Amino acid sequence: MPIRETFWNIPHWAEIAQYIAALVTAIIFIAGITRRVLRWRKGRPEKRSGHFWKRIGALITQVFGQQRTLDEKFPGIMHFSIFWGMLVLAAGTALATIDWDVTHLFFGFQILKGGVYIAFELMLDVLGLLVVLGLGMAIYRRYIARPARLQNFPVKKLAGDDTYVLVMLAFITLSGYLTEGLRLAVTQPDWAPWSPVGNAIAALFLSLGDPTNQTLHLIIWGMHIATAFGVLISLPFTKLFHIFSVPLNIYFRSLEPAGALRAANMDGGMGVKEWTQFTWKQLLDFESCTRCGRCQDVCPAYASAQVLSPRNMMVKLDDHLWEKKPRALHGEVVSVDELWACTTCRACVQVCPAFIDHVTTFVDLRRHLVDQGKMDQMLQDALSNLGRYGNSFGQSDRMRAKWTMGLQPPVKDARREQVEYLWFVGDYASYNATLTDVTRKTAEVFHKLGLNFGILYESERNSGNDVRRVGEEGLFEMLVDKNSQVLSKCKFQAIVTTDPHSYNTLKNEYPANGNGRYPVLHYSELLDQLIAAGKLKFSKKLGYKVTYHDPCYLGRYNGVYDAPRRVIEATGCELVEMPRHRERGFCCGAGGGRIWMEEKEVKERPSESRIREAVALEGVQTFIVACPKDLTMFRDAVKTTGNEQRLEVKDLIDLVAEAL
Amino acid sequence: MKIAVPIKFVPDLVEELTIDPSGTALDTTWLRLIINELDDHAVEQAILLKERSGGEVTVLSAEADGVDDFLFTAAAKGADRLIKLTGDFSAADNHALGRAFADVIKELQPDLILTGVQAHNDLDGSVGPLLAEYLGLPYVGYVAGIALDGNKVVARKEYAGGLVAEVEVKLPAVLGIQAAEQPPRYVAYSKIRQVMGTAKIEERPVSNLESSGGVVVGRLFQPEVAERATMLEGSPEDVADKLVGLFKELGTL
Ligand SMILES: Cc1cc2nc3c(=O)[nH]c(=O)nc-3n(C[C@H](O)[C@H](O)[C@H](O)COP(=O)(O)OP(=O)(O)OC[C@H]3O[C@@H](n4cnc5c(N)ncnc54)[C@H](O)[C@@H]3O)c2cc1C
Ligand code: SF4
Ligand code: SF4
Repeated sequence: MPIRETFWNIPHWAEIAQYIAALVTAIIFIAGITRRVLRWRKGRPEKRSGHFWKRIGALITQVFGQQRTLDEKFPGIMHFSIFWGMLVLAAGTALATIDWDVTHLFFGFQILKGGVYIAFELMLDVLGLLVVLGLGMAIYRRYIARPARLQNFPVKKLAGDDTYVLVMLAFITLSGYLTEGLRLAVTQPDWAPWSPVGNAIAALFLSLGDPTNQTLHLIIWGMHIATAFGVLISLPFTKLFHIFSVPLNIYFRSLEPAGALRAANMDGGMGVKEWTQFTWKQLLDFESCTRCGRCQDVCPAYASAQVLSPRNMMVKLDDHLWEKKPRALHGEVVSVDELWACTTCRACVQVCPAFIDHVTTFVDLRRHLVDQGKMDQMLQDALSNLGRYGNSFGQSDRMRAKWTMGLQPPVKDARREQVEYLWFVGDYASYNATLTDVTRKTAEVFHKLGLNFGILYESERNSGNDVRRVGEEGLFEMLVDKNSQVLSKCKFQAIVTTDPHSYNTLKNEYPANGNGRYPVLHYSELLDQLIAAGKLKFSKKLGYKVTYHDPCYLGRYNGVYDAPRRVIEATGCELVEMPRHRERGFCCGAGGGRIWMEEKEVKERPSESRIREAVALEGVQTFIVACPKDLTMFRDAVKTTGNEQRLEVKDLIDLVAEAL
Repeated sequence: MKIAVPIKFVPDLVEELTIDPSGTALDTTWLRLIINELDDHAVEQAILLKERSGGEVTVLSAEADGVDDFLFTAAAKGADRLIKLTGDFSAADNHALGRAFADVIKELQPDLILTGVQAHNDLDGSVGPLLAEYLGLPYVGYVAGIALDGNKVVARKEYAGGLVAEVEVKLPAVLGIQAAEQPPRYVAYSKIRQVMGTAKIEERPVSNLESSGGVVVGRLFQPEVAERATMLEGSPEDVADKLVGLFKELGTL
């Protein structure tokens, strides 16, 4: 009967030596892991418990299912193969050990015998090929295809770490197959064909005969075991550690709404000045980065000027945790320019297979810069204006509702009368001279639809969304206070806004909106609701071929992808998607306070890259936006890329007004 | 080194200015006040000197809307003492202000007094020179850059046409700041809020404000459209010809 004889050809002393090595490995392994965990515990506390089953569910889909990793085909399949192949081989080895050293030794029976054993051999033999396939793909990718995102690490020694992992895994797998083949060559059992790979290798060695093969077997077995222990020992000290840290990072990821930033640390100055002021979860983030570079590939800041790479930031921060002589976090580890370059678009967070939250860390680091007053003059002026006048334009708050002048009927004052919809207009729609036409058009459409709506007139302040993301937490709180005070005195059923930034913070961060006291609607959602309820009917079918740009704070931050698309389709337009759409939408470059900062030298502005993407779509003449800032950003980009004849940027409301 | 920085608040030009019915003053109903920009530079320069060579910075201001916030901001930047003159300053001109500041400053005995070199509200002589006169101290205006050197300072004084002079002055002295060595810094709101809990504004009541010597406003008015300008129409050649004709007519050619 086929039976597993685990230590065939292994002298007793070698078997014992192996168990001693295992013990040493275990000690070093545990010490290595403890060293990491102790480092994380130097971070500040942060609550990440609760929702146990939800977290376990994510482990199943993301670790075992490799869902996000598989978002990209080649690297996805590559990693999936290595992961599952290694998992099965490791589990098989564990089972064989239990079979031999527990059940056989103590209880006198074996699981791995007969049919079970044959199935076991077949499965391990075939699934081991997955590892060979995955490793082959990895070696091809890293050393032959050489995509840009795997090059130029800011910490040079990491290239060696990457090679080490590939070499070790390749050696483990190959030596495993060789050991098996040599064993089969010597013992030649009837069931050898059930190990097709091993059997094929055996055929190669048959001619050597015994005892050569037996000696070879012992040598290669020894090397196999040594490599296996080597891998385990080095796991807590090399890139292999991601096997441990990434599942933890996925398990402990934030389940709060993406649009709700954590309040600033105020202990020892605002934000993070030294790495110990990060929370333990942020430290775990840094230690989970596998340098896959996916974030860098989607980063608009990286694409436009290569100043900031979210991948490099994680690499540098992780390296910093272990520095013998810690350098200054700001200026030495990461540069000020890098920190200001981020548009907080969240594209990196969306694609990271390790579920790292880059943006929270960048904002914490910016908070310290604000605390020290280190920022460019334009940003400083914008913040001063926001503090003094409640808007970044430095215009009088009394002029906020100037755009309503002459509108008939006049726009209601929500502070004085009850309305159904309180329209939070936002700075850009209120003050930017080139946008007030669209703002007026929005008011006219609302009137035509018979909506009972009003605005806060000069009592409205900037909502603070980007003020917070710049890192000016105190000013953010002040703006929230002022807006909340007037909101609490008004009577309304829902807030509506055209500005995704205001939308985000009003919905997710305003304490006055605790537990969703009132719904916050983006105008695209409101229009969509009205269409669904039959209250908004169009008289025309426009028939334009259009494309739509997902605003980061509407899409990635709040998952509103369908409402604007349904509105566009209801106006009778044909929607053609750009390659980067929905979750992969490409930022216009204005977010996170970037619109208030001096523009450094760039290769191609994100907005220009976006316009070129749209222009490449055949027959598309209209570029639809659903954010006032987008309107200014993309109208500029259409001009600077010389596409004025080719593409027109329109607001969603333009389509609606035209089709009414 | 003790540095005193008297500052004042001026009308904020983001608001439209209107003239009150008397026809000699601004209507204060819609008026919003803001720190005089160059005074903000004077505060920054004082803080920079303190950071460089140590010392104590006192910021003084007459009472006005928003002054408390500004004083706390100055404290968050590094000012040590905050003094607010209280009383009715609605009719106080720079002469009155200069005298009031002089009384308080005499008691502070500073080594250096920094003011903004000018303000855009009343152009009846800057507070700096007036203060210097009342205190009997030397004054250098249009200063952008100060080097301390024992009991004297070397002030970089700007002249029109881009000329710069280095002027050595014995302390104590009054300097009118044209620009601080770096733009006034930003202070995070959280820092200001923190300072509000700890810093104290000392109040000094001022009862008699003496404004003699100042200018008396006869009439305050918006720029009036005059019909003196004649637009010459036509091609550049035509316009040039017409110009030459006009110059000849006026006897300049
Ligand atoms: C850098 C700088 C920036 C300024 N910016 C502004 C501004 O933005 N807005 C504003 O309103 N004002 C500004 N001023 C101030 C403005 O130029 C002065 O207020 C104005 O020039 C003062 O004129 P004044 O006649 O009182 O004195 P001065 O300009 O000092 O004129 C004195 C005159 O007397 C002459 N003079 C001096 N000594 C003698 C002598 N011994 N014999 C004969 N003649 C002599 C001088 O050549 C000069 O013509 C600025 C000045 C400077 C230096
Ligand atoms: S949030 Fe956007 S801009 Fe910032 S690092 Fe991530 S991808 Fe780049
Ligand atoms: S942060 Fe995430 S996406 Fe970026 S390199 Fe690291 S693991 Fe990859």
